Amino acid sequence: MNIKNTILALALGAASLASIESSAQQKFFKAVGSPHMPKVEVAWNRYYTYEGLVDVMQKIAKAHPNLAKIESIGKSYEGRDIMTLTITDFSAGKDTDKPAMWIDGNIHSNEIQGAEFALYSAWYLTEMHADTEFIQELLRDKTFYITPTINPDARNDFFLKPNTQNTPRSGVIPLDNDGDGQAAEDEMDDLNGDGHITMMIRKSPTGRYIKDPLDPRRLMMVGPDQVGDYEMLGQEGTDLDGDGRINDDDVGYYDPNRDWGWNWQPDYIQRGAMRYPFTLPENRSVMEFVMKHPNIAGAQSYHNYGGMILRGPGAEEDVNTYNREDIRIYDAIAKKGEEMMPGYRYLTVYKDLYSVFGGELDWFYGNRGVFTYSNELMISYLYFHQNAGRGNQEEQLKVDQLLTFGDAFVDWESYEHPQYGEIEIGGFKKTFGRAHPGFLMEQDAHRNSAFTIYHAYHTPKLSVMDVKEEDLGGGLKAITATIFNERMMPTHSSQDLKYKIERPDYVSISGAKVVAGFVVENEDFKRYQEQKLRPERIAVDNIPGMSAVKVRWIVSSASNYSISVDSAKGGKASWSK
Amino acid sequence: MRKFLFSCLLAGSVSVAGSAWAQGDYPTLSQLEQRLQKIGSSANANLQKLGQTSSGKDVWVLKVGTGDMDQKPAIAVVGGVEGFHVLSVELATQFAERLVSEHAEALEETTFYIFPNMSPDAYEQYHAGLKYERRGNAAAVDHDRDGTPGDNGYTDLNGDGFITWMRVEDPMGDYKVSDEDERVLVKADRSKGEAGQYLVFKESKDEDLDGKFAEDLKEGIAFNKSMTYKFPVFEPLAGDIPVSQPETRAMLDYLFEQWNIFAFVTFSPANNLSSPLKYNAQNARKRVVTSILQKDEAINAMVSEMYKSTVSQKAFQQTNQGTDGDFFQWAYFHFARLSFGTPGYWTPEFKGKSNAEANYLAWADSLGWNDVFVPWTEISHPDFPGKKVEVGGVKPFVMANPPYEKVDEIAEEHTEFILKLAEMQPNLEVQNLKIESIGNGLTRISLDLFNNAPLPTHSEMGERSRWLRKIRVDLNAGSDRLISGEKIQLIDSIDAYGKASLSWIIRGKGDVSFKAGAPHAGFINATFKL
Repeated sequence: MNIKNTILALALGAASLASIESSAQQKFFKAVGSPHMPKVEVAWNRYYTYEGLVDVMQKIAKAHPNLAKIESIGKSYEGRDIMTLTITDFSAGKDTDKPAMWIDGNIHSNEIQGAEFALYSAWYLTEMHADTEFIQELLRDKTFYITPTINPDARNDFFLKPNTQNTPRSGVIPLDNDGDGQAAEDEMDDLNGDGHITMMIRKSPTGRYIKDPLDPRRLMMVGPDQVGDYEMLGQEGTDLDGDGRINDDDVGYYDPNRDWGWNWQPDYIQRGAMRYPFTLPENRSVMEFVMKHPNIAGAQSYHNYGGMILRGPGAEEDVNTYNREDIRIYDAIAKKGEEMMPGYRYLTVYKDLYSVFGGELDWFYGNRGVFTYSNELMISYLYFHQNAGRGNQEEQLKVDQLLTFGDAFVDWESYEHPQYGEIEIGGFKKTFGRAHPGFLMEQDAHRNSAFTIYHAYHTPKLSVMDVKEEDLGGGLKAITATIFNERMMPTHSSQDLKYKIERPDYVSISGAKVVAGFVVENEDFKRYQEQKLRPERIAVDNIPGMSAVKVRWIVSSASNYSISVDSAKGGKASWSK
Repeated sequence: MRKFLFSCLLAGSVSVAGSAWAQGDYPTLSQLEQRLQKIGSSANANLQKLGQTSSGKDVWVLKVGTGDMDQKPAIAVVGGVEGFHVLSVELATQFAERLVSEHAEALEETTFYIFPNMSPDAYEQYHAGLKYERRGNAAAVDHDRDGTPGDNGYTDLNGDGFITWMRVEDPMGDYKVSDEDERVLVKADRSKGEAGQYLVFKESKDEDLDGKFAEDLKEGIAFNKSMTYKFPVFEPLAGDIPVSQPETRAMLDYLFEQWNIFAFVTFSPANNLSSPLKYNAQNARKRVVTSILQKDEAINAMVSEMYKSTVSQKAFQQTNQGTDGDFFQWAYFHFARLSFGTPGYWTPEFKGKSNAEANYLAWADSLGWNDVFVPWTEISHPDFPGKKVEVGGVKPFVMANPPYEKVDEIAEEHTEFILKLAEMQPNLEVQNLKIESIGNGLTRISLDLFNNAPLPTHSEMGERSRWLRKIRVDLNAGSDRLISGEKIQLIDSIDAYGKASLSWIIRGKGDVSFKAGAPHAGFINATFKL
């Protein structure tokens, strides 16, 4: 029986393999810029639970063992593994020896699509590698650390439990939000059992609303001199704790993006903060990983909503943290992003949105010196290429009529409510509004991935070049070497230099007897800064983007010497005579 | 069970040896642990291990109280906030000992949390072969951020077992001999055209050859410089992120679960008891608040007066009212509890000397303490060839910590202070209770919820914090009986000697129970007979 089954399975397998190959030849033709026959098939027009994400990540790691590794970087509050993919060409050096890009998503649990977008980057890089020279070079030079969800518990809560498009924003630690000494005792209730928390309305002789006779989904306000049929009762729910308020103590409510250790402030100053920075185990895992990977030079965090490329500072108090040299680089990358992602605008958090303390992007830049963006994914522009604005009901109803055919809306249905009596429940689903509808996902995921690839491309790339020798007589020789950084980002952001966050870059010579060593300040006018201690290993504070530094040694003997540069964020390079 | 038995045995053996406790010096960590175990074996005290430092040293808390300890207002007493301040450990520990053995009556109304030693790694340096005033724990930290952790600590150049100072004769130096005491060095006052004679450093060598001395200490993060309030990011002993150390997180995670603490008494260099913190309207109004709030300033002033009438030592040079990243300020500004701090001991004003060291030495001389100063003695220093280098100065620990035999009196007075503070705690009462029939089977209950105490239920800062609970009032009547008034209501704060007026209308007969309070303000229960 077993043997028979096996044989059957083998036969079937062979047949299906053959059919895939031949059908690929006959049925498919490669579209430009997309993987033709990916080893890992992923549908990019749907959302994935935590388990779904991990499944795809494991498949990527298994299908591309030389390009992808998967690991758990820590546990969530409920014990889920925070899974990270390391993507690089491992045959061209260790991940930690190359400048790296950190990508995460879903820090706010209802901001779901960041996970799919981050995952798309991992999938795209690995599946396009074989055919694309640019990606081959990129993965030789760079590493990507991709963590699709850094909030796995509440991601699953969003999908699997009743929610609105705005809940839960936090993780799932129960807290006492109404200050009555009990935690999470009045959660939202999915009265009609459809998995979505929508709205409650009730017929009322003093109501101010009527149902639009042309579109009964739409509740419209009557004129100031008119009486309507309905009153609004708010969000679907009941008063579970008997305090006369509905849904007043749901799980949470804290904000994982107020938990980071740069200019952190407590809850009474910054709503949503927890006990101290990195109280949340999910964020702590990320922090510890980043601390152990000083090669991370760029970072991207995905949020929704609004079509924005955000940079810090998050709080006005930090304006001086971001100085002109670094802002120039931020601007150059993000302006390119605006072109790559139509509808997205490049903004600064504190002045274009609102001031926040303890945010993730501020920690990455302020505390680690890493050039970081937060993209607010999805904007209504993507529907009709018009700027109708956020949550525009007219437009949303039109989208649901013309593009999603009623799938985005729960039609009003009557319900017997324990406190309100006969009511109606209905409204937009949690997966509409902030989240992309399926048909817009792949394109926007691709555009955002292309932006992070551009960002990663411009982490430093160092080379040792133009090594010159000069005979000084008396058996002494001067050797001068140029260390060139051929990308936009410096090895140390100016924030990094200001606080000495990362060690200096080291330029070393071996195979030579060094008498003295210098950083060259001006080669033409022979201005040198001597380094008295360990002159064979010159410490350079910074190698700026698209420019070079020079070092110089006076040696008493040197034949087959070699010169190498070792930079935490800039990677390694060497030259041999 | 086995653990319990073991600690009983331990405690037993200690109490046998208890009479031998008339010791002459501050306890070692193991002696301290024996004393804590002994306190923990008392019926009213519970000793709990909070966690460990990175070197494996235990951090403890004693929870002392009776009955439902979590439902009574509590005071937290904290020692070992600075590792070199060994007195603070003794003051916290003696408070616990006296509380359990002499003041058990205080536990009827108040619960106490005693954190005897938050810096066990640094504390140990007091008893080590090489003694110096240490603040940092055992973590490996790159204080000078050169890529190598701890590569330029102290060196005992004269081999006397103490780290003091070294002075290098140098016309470019910025220190000169004090006019008040020739043993003491002071900064040359350039504004008065004074020249310096000496370069002054902590006793050390330039081990990492960067031209700096003792700038990358072989100690880790200081508990009292790594809290979140005004965290001095990237500074030596502070590190990269606040609350980075396991012992600190263990303490904070514990504190955030203890909802009944209304006040802290911290034994550390910061002092807001000799004189209260000053309210600054501008800094109080900013989004990031850096001034005590106005109503809380008044509380601080009131408690300060009580302290000064309880503790006999008169204030002198008590100007430290908080330093960046410290614990004492954190307890108020970020944990929103009333926070009181004192070093417990300082050198009194003596013969009008303005320099703290000169004042101390004159006072020590007058008492015949001749073991507190290392006379300046020339040594040869590898980093200063051809220059005259001398090692000397006031010995470590002696200025912050009195001789051990003086501790008893200090501890007694501070115990009294803490107990008086406990008597000021919020105290809810029902006043003006009226239960009146309004006809047709309806009864109106009205009352004043009165806070009969000199402290409000919530400080002004406490009112803002989510980490203090509101006053919750429950009237336990079924929704069919409750005609008006709320079954559950929350009150933000009740002032000192202030009230909240409440009323309900109830249908029908039958007792109705009432409960009001918050863990940090205490609870009252009542039953109204209808």
